[in-house]
Amino acid sequence: MRWNARALCAVVAALVLALTAGTGSAPTGPAAAAMQAPKEQHAITWEYPPKFSNVTVNVVGDAGHNLAPYEFWRDHFPKAGITIKIIEVPFEGVYEKEKTEFVAGSGAFDVVTFYPAYIGDFASNGYLEPLDEYMKKQPDSVWNPHQEDVLPPFRELYNKWAGKTYALTIDGDAHMMIYRKDLFANPAEQAAFKARYGRALAPPQTWDDWLRVGAFFTRKKGQQLAGQTLDRDFYGSAEFAKRGFSFAWFVDRWAASGELYFDDTMKPQINTPAAVAALQNFVDSLKNAPPDVRGYGYDELRDALLNGNVAMVVQWTDVPKKGADPSQSKVVGRLGYGRVPGLVIGGKVVHRAMMPVGRVVAVAASSKNKLAAYWVAKHIAYDMSLEDVSTAFTGLDVNRGVHFKHPEAYSDFKTTAEAASYLDRVKEALADGYPEIFIPGAAQYEDALDLHVNKALAGQETPKQALDAVAKEWTAITDRLGRQKQIELWHQALNSYKIAGLVK
Amino acid sequence: MRRRSPARRLVTGLVLLAALVFFLFPVLWMVLTSFKSNPEFFAYPPVFIPKSFALTNYLNAMRLPPDGRGGLQGVRDSLIVSTGSMVISLLAGAPAAYSFARFRTGGENLSFWVLSTRMFPPVASALPLFLVFKSLHLLDTHWALIVANTIFNLPFVIWLLKGFFEDLPAELEEAAVIDGTTIFGAFRRVALPLVAPGLVATALFCFIFTWNEFMFALLLTRSDVRTLTIIVPSLVGGHEILWGQVAAVGVVAIIPNILLALLLQRFLVRGLTLGAVKG
Amino acid sequence: MALRLGREAAGARPRAETVRWSRRTPVLMILPAVVVLAAITLFPLLFTLRLTVLSWELTTGFPPQFIGVQNFVRVLTQDPRFWNAMANTGVLVAVGVGLQAVIGTGLALELNRLRRGRALVLSLLLIPVMIAPVIAGFQFRMILNDQYGPLNYLLDALTFGRVRGFAWLADPRVALGAVMATDVWQWAPFMTLVVLAGLQSLPGELLEAAEVDGATGLQALRRVTLPLLLPVIVIGVLVRVMDTFKLFDIVYQLTGGGPGNVTETIAYYTYLQGFKFFSLGYTAAMSFVQLVVITIVAQVFLHYQKRVRGGAVA
Repeated sequence: MRWNARALCAVVAALVLALTAGTGSAPTGPAAAAMQAPKEQHAITWEYPPKFSNVTVNVVGDAGHNLAPYEFWRDHFPKAGITIKIIEVPFEGVYEKEKTEFVAGSGAFDVVTFYPAYIGDFASNGYLEPLDEYMKKQPDSVWNPHQEDVLPPFRELYNKWAGKTYALTIDGDAHMMIYRKDLFANPAEQAAFKARYGRALAPPQTWDDWLRVGAFFTRKKGQQLAGQTLDRDFYGSAEFAKRGFSFAWFVDRWAASGELYFDDTMKPQINTPAAVAALQNFVDSLKNAPPDVRGYGYDELRDALLNGNVAMVVQWTDVPKKGADPSQSKVVGRLGYGRVPGLVIGGKVVHRAMMPVGRVVAVAASSKNKLAAYWVAKHIAYDMSLEDVSTAFTGLDVNRGVHFKHPEAYSDFKTTAEAASYLDRVKEALADGYPEIFIPGAAQYEDALDLHVNKALAGQETPKQALDAVAKEWTAITDRLGRQKQIELWHQALNSYKIAGLVK
Repeated sequence: MRRRSPARRLVTGLVLLAALVFFLFPVLWMVLTSFKSNPEFFAYPPVFIPKSFALTNYLNAMRLPPDGRGGLQGVRDSLIVSTGSMVISLLAGAPAAYSFARFRTGGENLSFWVLSTRMFPPVASALPLFLVFKSLHLLDTHWALIVANTIFNLPFVIWLLKGFFEDLPAELEEAAVIDGTTIFGAFRRVALPLVAPGLVATALFCFIFTWNEFMFALLLTRSDVRTLTIIVPSLVGGHEILWGQVAAVGVVAIIPNILLALLLQRFLVRGLTLGAVKG
Repeated sequence: MALRLGREAAGARPRAETVRWSRRTPVLMILPAVVVLAAITLFPLLFTLRLTVLSWELTTGFPPQFIGVQNFVRVLTQDPRFWNAMANTGVLVAVGVGLQAVIGTGLALELNRLRRGRALVLSLLLIPVMIAPVIAGFQFRMILNDQYGPLNYLLDALTFGRVRGFAWLADPRVALGAVMATDVWQWAPFMTLVVLAGLQSLPGELLEAAEVDGATGLQALRRVTLPLLLPVIVIGVLVRVMDTFKLFDIVYQLTGGGPGNVTETIAYYTYLQGFKFFSLGYTAAMSFVQLVVITIVAQVFLHYQKRVRGGAVA
């Protein structure tokens, strides 16, 4: 027994020692081989800053491929006299980790990556350094991030707070519709659709079309689809119906009505007849979706399409890049993309596309090396941004004009023409953009909305009950956070929406 | 006592077999998944046996970008933190449990207070703990996690061991004390060996609780210390889940635990009977 | 007989010769634990206690405001979501932990009968406990997947297509059950180990005596073994009950609390209030309400444990 205890201690100690020794210093070689830096495009010209005296810049961000750019360009930073130290935080923990460190004033971070919905929270609490002065520094080729090239929604909403710039966009996000063009082009399907509905089969223009086309393509195992017998069930459409972001797929259906989350006095506008009809459409669409659609988040929804299991989805604009990759997709070359369906208003179809999530980088106000931190942020957000958004090794999406001008950089697509057509559709999607709730408390407002949208999807509440409940909760949240202040902030957000061209 | 009918033994065998299937299938699934490649994760019909047993996922998971020491660092940090908290909890907890069990020291209120520290929702204690560790400059160190986990492990040790000590007849220790041993000596030389199975089970669980902890690991560390539970979600980008690598980390993560369990199994199932000890 | 003496002795003062020791040593033995615990928990507790009377919304720039008992009023009377989460947690506690206790005890008894390979089987059974919930969550997302998961495939294949599995994680009717199954899978072996350890500390002659007296296996189990095991089982269950109140990772991985809020547990909701909304005052008040509820539950258990202990002696 005694021997056992000793042996145990010895083994545990040996294990600890072995591992400590083995990982004491960071091996650089093998890790680099696992990920290949994209080819430098030299489409953007930039220069190194005057050399810093070997400062360390701590970069925090959501772990995984969106931190890859720091790995791609790791040779650049030493040339500027900068050592990068990455602090990886799990995807789901970014906000609480950063907020906690900010609140405690730990000064642990220099460059902060976050979701722009939190910009109001972070900037108004003084956690972030205003960047305007840095951006004006000379020479231009070193310091200017060319914000005028950033697409207006991202520049105005993601980056600014109360008129000042606090952050630089690295990832622009918006929804687009992605569908199986081979099915829509199939003559037999076209004829069948015409016979059944008395109109031509086409990718849905409106959300009513969405339901109709969705119902049309929903087939049972053993039935025919585009001339082939199905060996399993096939579904017309699928949705993000899992808790978390299901609200965005509701807003896709509602935003074209022209309504906003609140009126001028912060009275919720979320339970209008148009909103109830939109949620009803969402609920109805689940009939044409796979039975486990209420468990679909981003990846389940993407995979349902890429596995050839559904005819159409509304998704983030990066999905076509994955759809073109044969290692992830069974439908390579068979995907078409278009605008998110809309509503008929005054005889015309109005499209709006939700713009959820996104990513920005900012400089922490508590940073001890703000200038170096700023250059690192700018280097990622501008200098190398074309390379970063065009590779499949990151999840970053186009966000500035120059990204559209170089389709040849998007090497996932077989041809430059295909890439160009993809970029055109993305541009359209961004033009339809509809923003999240960009005021402090966004997390609470959006969670309340998502909860009740989801309850309606689960059949726990009717659409009307659900949205009435949201309105009630939103009022309570506004009261708790301070009504007067929230109204001011909302006016400010409205103003930004207008400047960005998102609302009239 | 030891003679059983063949039918009864068959039942025992079947029940345990069914249990093994139920409890091990997901584990087996994880092991198989760790070898699969992209198209095999969500194929229909599901792929049970991957086409090749290449170690790609393991290699990638163990050397995470950008600094290339993801998985192995996780194993190291989890080992240090789990072992540390287990040792502290046992050293402080076992004597306390004995004292509570034999002498009712501090009365029921004290022992209940000890238990109640485990009941407090971790979300509530996370922020104040963060502030404490910040002022002590302990953030991003192993100590922060060892201490934070001890909040939950220590009451666990005390209460579980208290139960085991209470079930021991006191005569043996009393006899030892009369023979001139101190109370502490009686505890160490008589009572402790008698509850060895319980002690080992408790230690194992302490280790595992810490090994599996997520929230403190997220908030109290940055980059110098990263436990395995923090590394796993980092394989889930906003846009992609690396299923194979998650499973690979999962497999690597259970190896130390299994090793520990195997080392301790002699204690776990020693089949100690007090009757034999008493003679 | 021996046990009975032991139990009485546990309550009684040690013998006269040792009185001089009994005053100081037991206190010294308890001191490290108490000091460590007090040092770690006192500040968080007081800090949180003070928060309960404040409105402190960290997302806004406002300084904290004193609002008296309003946070508690909101928890108790104005927050159906809190009670929904409590009810879900209650189900997980009552049914889930109950299942863990039953399965765990059953397996421990069967394992105890095993003459060879006991160590091996036990070690194998313990593997689920060793997998971090975060990782286990990922595996179950694949296994329980409606269309591609092995579970539904096997159901279909083994019944020749007659049984169609549920969309386990997405169907409001079964989602909480799926979360519970994951938790049971992970923690029933914990109960097995605890009960087995208890079982092996039992004096074998007592059981043999019962068998000699002509008690059948079942009678011996009910009259002798189980009552003797109950104190250990109760503590094991109590630990699991307390941990179920903290059940967070699995919910996060599997369902995010959905569909709707049918799988939202109290730990998950508290986490949202604390670390997504940063409503510090309200989170603190919610935490204290939980603490009270768990304390009451724990007291009931301990009271019960004392009774069964007494029952075993008599």
